[in-house]
Amino acid sequence: MVNLILNENMKLYRRWRTWIMVGLLVTAVLFGSIVEWYYDDKNAPEGAWEEQITKEKLEYETRLNDPELDAEDKAYIQELIAINDYRLEHRIRPESGTMWDGINGSAQLVILITLFTVIVAGDSLAGEFTTGTIKLLLIRPASRLKILLSKYISMLLFGIFLLVILFIVSVLVNGLLYQFEHVNLPLVSVNGDGQVIERNMAANLWQTYLLNGVSTIIFVTMAFMISSAFRSSVMAIGFSIFSLFAGTIIVELIQSYEWSKYVLFANIDLSQYLSGQPYQEGMTLEFSITVLAVYFIIFNLVSWLVFTRRDVAS
Amino acid sequence: MSNEPIVSLRNVTKRIGRATIIDNVSFDVPKGEIFGFLGPNGAGKTTTIRMMVGLMSITKGEISIKGKNVKNEFEQAIRHVGAIVENPEMYKFLSGYHNLIHYARMIPGITKERINEVVSLVKLENRIHDKVKKYSLGMRQRLGVAQALLHNPSLLILDEPTNGLDPAGIRELRDYLRYLTRTEGITVIVSSHLLSEMELMCDRVAVLNKGKLIDLKLIQDFIGSNNGAQTFLIEALPAEQALAAILGIEGVEDAKAAPEGLEVITERDRIPEIVAHLVRSNTQVYGVRARNQSLEDRFLEMTGGEQIG
Repeated sequence: MVNLILNENMKLYRRWRTWIMVGLLVTAVLFGSIVEWYYDDKNAPEGAWEEQITKEKLEYETRLNDPELDAEDKAYIQELIAINDYRLEHRIRPESGTMWDGINGSAQLVILITLFTVIVAGDSLAGEFTTGTIKLLLIRPASRLKILLSKYISMLLFGIFLLVILFIVSVLVNGLLYQFEHVNLPLVSVNGDGQVIERNMAANLWQTYLLNGVSTIIFVTMAFMISSAFRSSVMAIGFSIFSLFAGTIIVELIQSYEWSKYVLFANIDLSQYLSGQPYQEGMTLEFSITVLAVYFIIFNLVSWLVFTRRDVAS
Repeated sequence: MSNEPIVSLRNVTKRIGRATIIDNVSFDVPKGEIFGFLGPNGAGKTTTIRMMVGLMSITKGEISIKGKNVKNEFEQAIRHVGAIVENPEMYKFLSGYHNLIHYARMIPGITKERINEVVSLVKLENRIHDKVKKYSLGMRQRLGVAQALLHNPSLLILDEPTNGLDPAGIRELRDYLRYLTRTEGITVIVSSHLLSEMELMCDRVAVLNKGKLIDLKLIQDFIGSNNGAQTFLIEALPAEQALAAILGIEGVEDAKAAPEGLEVITERDRIPEIVAHLVRSNTQVYGVRARNQSLEDRFLEMTGGEQIG
């Protein structure tokens, strides 16, 4: 099994295509970070943030006095005030204007990782059918299930590899741009009990990465299913990318229907539970995970059944 | 044990939808032979080979390789098999060497030395580190043979191995297959549409037509006698007189005039008597030779003269 994964990795990393993708990702991080750094106010004195935050806090307080404010918004603003109080009290500055602002901004590029991984995954299986190499691959003492699994694992490893690159490059470039000032800045947030807590910034970043990684896994699984069903890279890549972008639009359109919460794309973005605004009233993290797990199992079952049963003709 | 067939098919049937592609085919391939598969297009040669190597499922019946059932014990059965199914499609973006590494990793126990050995066997030492996309068709074919031999298989299956090879390449492959069966005791199953090639290459031939096995014989038996009777070509003048004389002889099955002389179908033992009779009938005999019917003639006869392609 390890050898099969080594093989898949060899076929992946000994191709220019793969390294062009890595290059594009690095370029995107560099570009985004440098642009953001360029427009930063670099002349602000060290203590300027305290003034800023005090001002913000006053604004929040006036808004709290608005009688038309509903309970949810009210709670949200109170949290913001609590965070600002905590910052002032413990002298912890916000991320904006530090290296972490750029790094957290780069985390948006996870979508690029999903895109690249889906392209590679769509081609990994279907490409072998297109070029005919599948024949020589399947006449070895390795079951089709193992071959499918090794491809799947190598795709996930590729996704993780790109995440690590994203992390390293964005930390390095932003660190260098800001001379690694405020490296140890903690993330101040409010936990479930309404308590203000400090968290490690890097750990939080990885949490964001991995929540987005869930959608990468689902899209890769989908690309694999289409690959093994239609044996066409174009179909697999095209359809997966289409749903990657159109998925959110589709669920917007059908939001008013109750059943829409069972649609894959309504659940794929788990960060909706971090911001506290789920797609439909009453949806919970557990609900979404269950729905995703069901889709995940169905997709894998279809790829497995189709790939292991079907004749290799042509 | 040595007589145990290396491959055995028992009542193998393949249906796709309603069409029956292979209909109840049974045969054994003995060890150490070059076994040929003949048949017109669509006869089911490639389908049979694909079922042997597990690329296609078997609707009914059983195929076993070295006693292991291809369906239930696929990994053990295929371990002894090296194959090229149609053109050897390799990973073009990898070097020839990395292609071999790729396949070597899939079977335990293949050393770097073995890879180098196979590379020199197919004479690719100078180009093995080049990308496959830079290879000529002949070189790709040789790399295909290399990947098939990597794990010292006891059975080599080649589907249309001469496709796209020039005459020199075909000859090289033929000599090489002979060498393998003689020195390493490898059994080879080969399908081809080039009948003359099969004639030179194979020890035994199975003829498939419309999914059915219609004949299975040693190659000598195919091109040799027909129920003991053979075709002889007799040059004798005057031809009409000679023909009349021959037709009266007992044991002559058929005789007719041909441009080169007289075609006479009879048993070998009858020849001296026929010549004596011709001499007695005042005809002049210039020569007698046996004419082997080519595989192609026999083949067309058996498959009803359908186009071979």
